[in-house]
Amino acid sequence: MRLFLLCAYVLLFSGLFSTAFALGPELASAAKQQDTAAQGNTIGKPSGEEVFKANCARCHMPPMSLSPRITGTVVMHMRARARLSREDEKLLLKYLAP
Amino acid sequence: MRIAQLRYEFRIASYMLVLMLGAVLSGSLTAQETKPSENHAGYIPAISGGLGYVHNVNGGITSLEPQINPVLLVPFGSHVLLESRTSFTGFFERRDLTSGPFTGKVFKEVDYAQVNWLANTHIIATAGRYLLPFGLYSDRLGPLWIRNLQDTPITATIGTRTSGSGDGFMLRGVVVQKPSYSVQYTAYFSALSNINQLQSARTAGGDVSIYFPRARLEAGTSYQRFLQDHEINSSATYISWQPSSMPLDIKVEGDYSYNGRGYWIESAYLLKQLPISQIFQRTQIVSRMQQFFPTNGGGNSLPTVNTNRFDIGLNYYFRDDLRFISSYGRTFSSHGNANIWNVGFTYRFLFPLWPGRTK
Repeated sequence: MRLFLLCAYVLLFSGLFSTAFALGPELASAAKQQDTAAQGNTIGKPSGEEVFKANCARCHMPPMSLSPRITGTVVMHMRARARLSREDEKLLLKYLAP
Repeated sequence: MRIAQLRYEFRIASYMLVLMLGAVLSGSLTAQETKPSENHAGYIPAISGGLGYVHNVNGGITSLEPQINPVLLVPFGSHVLLESRTSFTGFFERRDLTSGPFTGKVFKEVDYAQVNWLANTHIIATAGRYLLPFGLYSDRLGPLWIRNLQDTPITATIGTRTSGSGDGFMLRGVVVQKPSYSVQYTAYFSALSNINQLQSARTAGGDVSIYFPRARLEAGTSYQRFLQDHEINSSATYISWQPSSMPLDIKVEGDYSYNGRGYWIESAYLLKQLPISQIFQRTQIVSRMQQFFPTNGGGNSLPTVNTNRFDIGLNYYFRDDLRFISSYGRTFSSHGNANIWNVGFTYRFLFPLWPGRTK
């Protein structure tokens, strides 16, 4: 049992931490860029792109493209599944089918 | 006594259905009256879903499992959505398990067939057959093209008895939303149904979660009360984290029920940030460990002895909708240890049902 737990934890987290340390400088740079972008949002509300990235990737790989003809249908479906707010739905629609 | 109770439940369900339909119609009319929105999104019926094939070897026994799960989406205006998903799952094994020709059958099941009324931020009312919202799986990670590992966690059957779906009504929505966090809820009641393809148990339950969009961290808890035969409680607590600085996906869930308790930890890392060839950056490494401890003899689709399992997988995304999947797992229990191999592919499809223009 102990061996199983030890192996599992080591495998799970060693890859994660080694990757994090190896890419430390690049990740810090990316995070800084994101902070700058967030500060540039004058009204403090997320953009459609931010809502898209923050919510779609919670469960699955976000689609690369989406036909505008069914954007409304798909966003309704996702709003019901992911329990998104009406405001998030509006931002997503504006982002995906401007 | 039992018949009287069933009649009472049927009457309540009828009243709720009438209320839902009224709400749906009023919502639809309201949607038609609203002014045109600031986008060009179309509301054409669509077919979505996933298909895939998994070659599974579990303890030396090979099974072939092709699947297709089409989802039909039919909107009525911008506030009412009819959606349904049917699963067609083939299961083929050798006649003598390890030798002989492959034989088997295709199982079909209606996972959900529901009407959603997206009233406002706080209320999304659902009537019909829906997936029981419990923990991270079932409602969210069930589709084969979404899940990182094809085998569901051992505890995935907790809180989803008996078919994984409920027949009744459900409310969900956002309680409060701020720039730094949002709180979501779900509450449902399901009636007993023995109708072919629409089986469900009499249950009630709900889910509450808090999501921090900046950290992309979600924590939640689910509860279910099983209201027939032995009335039992089930609960789950989960955390899901996808840090924005790296393509990492970590999910943790602990489940408890009368028949046992267990937990699983899953991590998935896409190699797209590593300084390697772009071809290999589409590779995803997945791992999951889990433990289950039966109580009161286990059962109800749960192991009857202490069970540990570890899985490691390798997925390759040819595109965002097409991927190769593979995994190796090992189960440890007093009933014997076993190796589990999965190899296959998944594909997500999404297209309009007919030609049409945007708004």
